[in-house]
Amino acid sequence: MSRKAAMGGARQPVGGATTTTTTTSTISTEDMCPVCKTIRYLNKDMEFLINPECYHSMCSNCVNRLFNDGPNQCPYAGCNKTLRRKGFRSAFFGDLGVEREVDIRRRVAAVFNQGEDDFETTTDYNNYLQMVEDLTFDLVFGTDRKRQEAEATLQRWEAEHTAQIEQNRRQGREADEMARRRLRAEKDAARLRRIEAVREAEEEKRERALTREAELDSIAQAPEGQGSSRVQLKRRGLAAAAGVNSAAPVATAAATDVGKLSIRGLKEKKKAVVHEGPYDPFGGLDFTPSRYRLGPDLKHQRIEDLRATMRYNPGGFRFEDWTAQLMFEAFAGLGVFVEDEKEVGIGLEAGRVASIGAGIAAVGDRMELD
Amino acid sequence: MEFNIDDLPVLFPYPRIYPEQYAYMCDLKKTLDSGGHCVLEMPSGTGKTITLLSLIVAYQQYYPEHRKLIYCSRTMSEVEKALVELKGLMKFRAERLGREEDFRGLGLTSRKNLCLHPSVKREKSGNLVDARCRSLTAGFIRDKKEKGEDVETCIYHDNLDSLEPHNLVPNGVWSFNSLLQYGEQHKQCPYFTARRMMQFCNVIIYSYHYLLDPKIAERVSKDLSKDCIVVFDEAHNIDNVCIESLSTDITEDSLRRATRGVQNLENRINEMRDSDEQKLKDEYEKLVEGLRGADEARQEDAFMSNPVLPDDLLKEAVPGNIRRAEHFVGFLRRFIEYLKTRMKVRQVISETPESFLAHLKEYTFIEKKPLRFCAERLTSLIRTLELTNIEDQRPLQEVATFATLVATYEKGFLLILEPYESDTAEVPNPVLHFTCLDAAIAIKPVFERFSSVVITSGTISPLEMYPKMLGFTAVVQESYSMSLTRRSFLPMIITRGSDQASISTSFQVRNEPGVVRNYGNLLTEFARITPDGMVVFFPSYLYMESIISMWQGMGVLDEVWKYKLILVETPDAQETSMALQTYRTACCKGRGAVMLCVARGKVSEGIDFDHQYGRTVICIGVPFQYTESRILKARLEFLRETYRIRENDFLSFDAMRHAAQCLGRVLRGKDDYGVMVLADRRFERKRAQLPKWISQRLLDSEAGLSTDMAVGSARRFFKTIAQPFADDEGVSIWGIDQLRAHQEKMAGEQILELQAQAQQNAMAAQVAAAAHEERPDSDYEMDEEGEAEMMALGV
Ligand code: SF4
Ligand SMILES: [Zn+2]
Ligand SMILES: [Zn+2]
Repeated sequence: MSRKAAMGGARQPVGGATTTTTTTSTISTEDMCPVCKTIRYLNKDMEFLINPECYHSMCSNCVNRLFNDGPNQCPYAGCNKTLRRKGFRSAFFGDLGVEREVDIRRRVAAVFNQGEDDFETTTDYNNYLQMVEDLTFDLVFGTDRKRQEAEATLQRWEAEHTAQIEQNRRQGREADEMARRRLRAEKDAARLRRIEAVREAEEEKRERALTREAELDSIAQAPEGQGSSRVQLKRRGLAAAAGVNSAAPVATAAATDVGKLSIRGLKEKKKAVVHEGPYDPFGGLDFTPSRYRLGPDLKHQRIEDLRATMRYNPGGFRFEDWTAQLMFEAFAGLGVFVEDEKEVGIGLEAGRVASIGAGIAAVGDRMELD
Repeated sequence: MEFNIDDLPVLFPYPRIYPEQYAYMCDLKKTLDSGGHCVLEMPSGTGKTITLLSLIVAYQQYYPEHRKLIYCSRTMSEVEKALVELKGLMKFRAERLGREEDFRGLGLTSRKNLCLHPSVKREKSGNLVDARCRSLTAGFIRDKKEKGEDVETCIYHDNLDSLEPHNLVPNGVWSFNSLLQYGEQHKQCPYFTARRMMQFCNVIIYSYHYLLDPKIAERVSKDLSKDCIVVFDEAHNIDNVCIESLSTDITEDSLRRATRGVQNLENRINEMRDSDEQKLKDEYEKLVEGLRGADEARQEDAFMSNPVLPDDLLKEAVPGNIRRAEHFVGFLRRFIEYLKTRMKVRQVISETPESFLAHLKEYTFIEKKPLRFCAERLTSLIRTLELTNIEDQRPLQEVATFATLVATYEKGFLLILEPYESDTAEVPNPVLHFTCLDAAIAIKPVFERFSSVVITSGTISPLEMYPKMLGFTAVVQESYSMSLTRRSFLPMIITRGSDQASISTSFQVRNEPGVVRNYGNLLTEFARITPDGMVVFFPSYLYMESIISMWQGMGVLDEVWKYKLILVETPDAQETSMALQTYRTACCKGRGAVMLCVARGKVSEGIDFDHQYGRTVICIGVPFQYTESRILKARLEFLRETYRIRENDFLSFDAMRHAAQCLGRVLRGKDDYGVMVLADRRFERKRAQLPKWISQRLLDSEAGLSTDMAVGSARRFFKTIAQPFADDEGVSIWGIDQLRAHQEKMAGEQILELQAQAQQNAMAAQVAAAAHEERPDSDYEMDEEGEAEMMALGV
């Protein structure tokens, strides 16, 4: 610790003539405050601050303690700079020598801001760069006299080239702004693409899961004996399904539609059937009336009579079910031609389901990657 | 055997040839004729190297261009093997032709392998050998010696200067051993002999890195002419080699040491300013002229290797603000301090080089351009300062290389800062990865510079992946099957255990006792029926360890022990080679052994299990990469965005090429036989991604087996294969007569084909003309009509 303090002392006065070959050894202020000797071990959140007046580092507690009541002298032995609270900040670099150098560079860069385009030849530009670098070195590491000279050059240059400096500064700002905007836009685009990719992958996964479920559903719901044939169809793929469908032209349309068909829609439809009970004795036969529609309040003398009868209004039943039943009975059997029924059976329905299954299977094969 | 391919006479140093070798030669010749690149996959153990060499040597000797061959392989032993083959070939040619051809073939490897200096060659690490050699052979050391100063040099190196520079060794093929011998006899350094003779060789054989790693390539391979034929053998991993050659990792420790390096430079500059300021001035003068001027000695004695700079940059003058030595040192210090500050961040950061540069400029006023010159500037400075303890400067060189790369390449790279080693680690250990995401960048100069590049391996499927990833177009892209008279290997996919439950090492189920038991069962069953050696591959060390300990608990290992010795690969090279030694002994003694190894380990890449050393190979699980790695994720994203390669596709491709490598380990020739087992449910769907020569032999009935069924098949296979069998010539191997017959047949077919084609063309033209006349006004319909008619004709 005394080493560090001594180090600080040795670099006195920093603003003045300093030979900074020893910069590397000043790094290790990281773990102990050289002023109050607190070590980081005791105070995890210890923060070190510096003041660009002399670049002496101390912990924030010390800064508050010493400078809260107005300007005060730097506590480092031999440092006679007067520091103010608001001048303190945390250092970007671990090596405070570099911190100081960069601060100086910031000042120089603000003045010497010509670009390659401002010069006739690259050689000129390079010579200019070297000149600036020499000047910076004088400012950073030079002797007192060198430093003053450099300072003077800097000011002279600034005075002479005011207009151009201003212009370059503006251009630089604009260019920076542009670059920043471009970077941001690129980042956003990349993020969007990433999100899109993730979404796609998830979509794929979900579809796969859905398909699998739909397959299982269709197998589970199949009446005895038909499940296995469906499985086979599925394996044989679309081509085989098309062959089956030629017997039932209506179904072919459905099969070709499968590509576009939303699979979720398909599943809901099945659910509608399943919904009414765990077991469907009609094998998925559709009871939605096709020849008439049930309105909300059907007006008929007989219905009014029934509604008035206690017998038709027991607890737990809906009166509408009676009316539905009546309507169903009234239309039952219409449009049924026994001969036709004998030929096709309810096969139309089954064939259709099978072909849809096949379509899904074909899609599914492609999607099941892993 | 002697035969012609088209007009080219080929001398093949064996009396008989495999049909696939012939096909390979034909395609190779086609590629060379057309002056393009190609990707060729030929099964392991079918004499790929000799096929390549005999065709290309024939080609270069026959045609007046005498195109040079650069043959790159992976390891030093593979290079040596190729050299021996080449030697045999040249001997055969000399006998047949009745004269020695004017021919020189040389191999190049590191100083470590070729050094003769009594004390230098004893250094353990290759880097040290390099460094010490440089300190004995550097230009300024020799200058000093000439001036009569007392400096140590290497006599082997000095002797070279008294020889004719283009005739350091006589004609002929020099394997490493013979070169070492020759060097010892004539007291000349084999390493520099090979390096300097590179330009005067007909065939050069060395490792990929001499061509791909831009840091080395510039020095070793820059004088090779454009019409060289470049061959990358065993190239299935070439994309990773490319990527590694351009990626660097920076740690806090390396930065600390780099700081020390800067300090050294600074001290040395001060010293020199006092003693020998002229040298610094000279360097400065040269740098004003441009990098090339300063670096006319971008030569063999250069101190370090630098990433390649675009040529125009080299001609340009060094930026003014790093021309002077002290300016440059300050520049380096600022850059390193900046990196140190960045390393303090405690969260993962990934950013593009562009945004890194913007931030850098904001905080340090370091511009992109001087950054690009960093590596070259450092080389020049180190040389000027006459530093010889180069080893100490290595971390600094790494930082400078990083600086140059980050400022040179905007696209295809990413910086990833990982503050902690793992997600659970408490103590930060930050690493700044500068990773190359694009394999095409490193290999691009090769494709651009050389007109014919051949990419070949035993397992390089799917072929179209490589041109995509490496950014080139292939004129020929072929995968050859293995012609066999009988089924000498049995590939199988096992998807279910003996209890019919499906087996997989996918993350969700890999530690299920049921799955582990099923795998254990599989291992025991195969250990029982396999004669001699058996190799088992696991997807990772971690999984191997956990499954082995579970097997231990289940008594699986005890069971296996009854039939075979059990040996395990470890990350430690020494231990593994011990294990291999024991394994070999056990196989030869008839006790038999099981080698448990990792699909991405050393064993899977370089060790052959031919004949009794491997009768069964089992690949337990699909060897996917560890997908949580940030670097891999970044690369996947890059591949998706740039080359439209989907992540799953790439991962699956990568896993399958490793699986195929593993399988290929046990079959090293046509007289070899073995069982190949892929044990994972997921393999069934990845069948198509296996190399053609494997997938072709994988019957439908043998994909998707349960353990019991597979064991049954394997048992049957071993029984049949054990029957005496005379290899009947004509199917899997051709004598000269059969080859002639084949050639005639091919020629006949070709003529017929050409005729048919000509006829068809003529007819199509007629039809089109007719259709055109009929319906001059409606283009669209005409097309349809024409097509329909053509189709009708075709039938
Ligand atoms: S010149 Fe050759 S022999 Fe001498 S040290 Fe170097 S590598 Fe070894
Ligand atoms: Zn304090
Ligand atoms: Zn102070």
